[in-house]
Amino acid sequence: MRTLVIGLGNPILTDDGVGVKVAYAVQDALASSKRNDVTVTEASVGGLRLMEMMMGYDRVILIDALLHDAMPGTVQRMTLEDLRTISPTQHSTCAHDTNLVTALNMGQQIGLPLPKEITIYAVGVENVTYFGDEPTPAVAKAIPEVTAAVLAELNHKK
Amino acid sequence: MKRVTIDPITRLEGHGKIEIFLNEEGEVANAYLQIPELRGFEQFCVGRPAEEMPRITNRICGVCPEAHHMAGTKALDALFHVEPTSVAKKIREVLYSAFYVTDHTVHFYALGGPDFVLGPDAPPAERNILGVVHKVGLEIGSQVIECRMRNHHVIQMLGGRGIHPVAGLPGGWSKAVSEEERQEIEEIARKNVEFGLFSLQLFNDVVLSNQDYVDLIVSDGYTHRIYSMGTVDENNHVNFYDGMIRVVDPEGAEFAKYHPSEYPNHIAERVEPYSYLKFPYLKNVGWKGFEDGMESGIYSATPLSRLNAADGMATPKAQEAYEKLYETLGSEKVNGNYTPVHHQLATHWARLVELLYSAERMLELITDPEITDPNVRAPITETPDEGVGSVEAPRGTLTHHYWTDENGILTKVNLVVGTTNNNAPISLSIKKAAKAVIKKGEEINNGMLNMIEMAFRSYDPCMSCATHSLPGQMPLVVTIHDAEGNVVERVSRHVD
Repeated sequence: MRTLVIGLGNPILTDDGVGVKVAYAVQDALASSKRNDVTVTEASVGGLRLMEMMMGYDRVILIDALLHDAMPGTVQRMTLEDLRTISPTQHSTCAHDTNLVTALNMGQQIGLPLPKEITIYAVGVENVTYFGDEPTPAVAKAIPEVTAAVLAELNHKK
Repeated sequence: MKRVTIDPITRLEGHGKIEIFLNEEGEVANAYLQIPELRGFEQFCVGRPAEEMPRITNRICGVCPEAHHMAGTKALDALFHVEPTSVAKKIREVLYSAFYVTDHTVHFYALGGPDFVLGPDAPPAERNILGVVHKVGLEIGSQVIECRMRNHHVIQMLGGRGIHPVAGLPGGWSKAVSEEERQEIEEIARKNVEFGLFSLQLFNDVVLSNQDYVDLIVSDGYTHRIYSMGTVDENNHVNFYDGMIRVVDPEGAEFAKYHPSEYPNHIAERVEPYSYLKFPYLKNVGWKGFEDGMESGIYSATPLSRLNAADGMATPKAQEAYEKLYETLGSEKVNGNYTPVHHQLATHWARLVELLYSAERMLELITDPEITDPNVRAPITETPDEGVGSVEAPRGTLTHHYWTDENGILTKVNLVVGTTNNNAPISLSIKKAAKAVIKKGEEINNGMLNMIEMAFRSYDPCMSCATHSLPGQMPLVVTIHDAEGNVVERVSRHVD
């Protein structure tokens, strides 16, 4: 099974970069193991571009910042189905693009090779309006927890 | 005074909102745009080596990293007083053309186009790229994705990374183009030209052959006569990568033409008490409020204003498309040049003319015998001090201005990003559209709100190169406040 782990967010916008930090941590943890089935990357894109990145993988794990109604540092594991339920209006990460759910629907309709399984780890954040390359303390504390959860998920199914 | 808020703006950065103030009679008194402020960018940069800027600034925004990378790289050329080699400039422009093709494609098919393909009154849940695919056919979806992917591949090949390019260096580019890569890119550029022609044909078939849409485009609610800005080459033709900044007045006469580094002599910024947004305007005309006309210094920097500010396109097929746009929309020829078109919704059409131009330009550059020259970087010999770099971002003229000490460590940074240029005209457009659709005593419905958003959407604004956090609930909310600020009515809908 080919898995893609994507840390989403802007790495120089304080808490917004938490997903990217987790991706780096996952990459470091995997460095010693020979996991040819796992690709780890980071991006600050959404919608069509995010969907296009997923092509050719069986499973995708996204890590992103969650701004609304979430305590800073709390972690939620969601499926794509949850994303649809939370809001039919999911913008995911980007402007100037369509939302991820719409992009995936379109990709499926035109027969693109898209993953069967998409899992999202959403980390509650507070500061996404100030430039800085380190997250706030509460959010930074969540990084090991999310990293461990992603690694467990990767080890659970290979 | 009542207050109507549209929050957030459908399909664009989920963090902006439109606020409309109604008077006691229920008519539109004023309208403006609110977006979140990102702070601390200058402090973030000061103290770092200037060479990091093309890689830092392309992180500001997930929408147009290529534009920031290019403006940053050009600012470094100026800062280190080094002229890039000829082939380096061409490679940069090939990458930049590929970026334009993808960027304009997504706007037309996913953001701006659905209003026309499905109609402005279509339910929001259908008014997206899925709706377009449903209406026009699955084939169109495949074409859009293929177009985007082949151009992302070019960006990755030339820029070193797919999403945030890293290859720009002061004086040039970090890697040459091999003959094998050249052939591949030539093939892609040819497909892009076909795609550009196809998209214009689609616009013709879906929009121009429908009189209701043409009437909407030329209607008064979406029309205002302001100054136009764009970058032009030595023949006053549109160029995205390099040239002089040209401004024409509402009648089309050249008002200013200057080197990008002279921007402080031409552009001033207005601050309004209700917003931290800055509203740039033409210093030598002056600020006359949110009004259009010859006496008001408001200008726009959009695909349509770039076409207005130029005398034509540098490539043959795009020139043909350009002429058709001006002929169709009633422009007159004065001294051999078309007078400006001021119908804001025609920006969508102008964007497709630019898409075709980018494709043709890409083909022209990649078939230039010099493009595989390995001499991609000029040596740096001068001491850095201050430099300005500018490109046309898809959303408007983008200017980076850096100051450093003699070791190249940043001491000051100023960016004028594409959308910022358009802050004042966006407010003007929203106000005008709102006045046209919101009538005294009539209930405000979703169709009306979308008509107002269409004015905004045509600018393809990138809200403050803003944040990318996963949102929870994202409905479009309209809140009406009474004079004391109490909420008297709340209308919300789910948007896509």
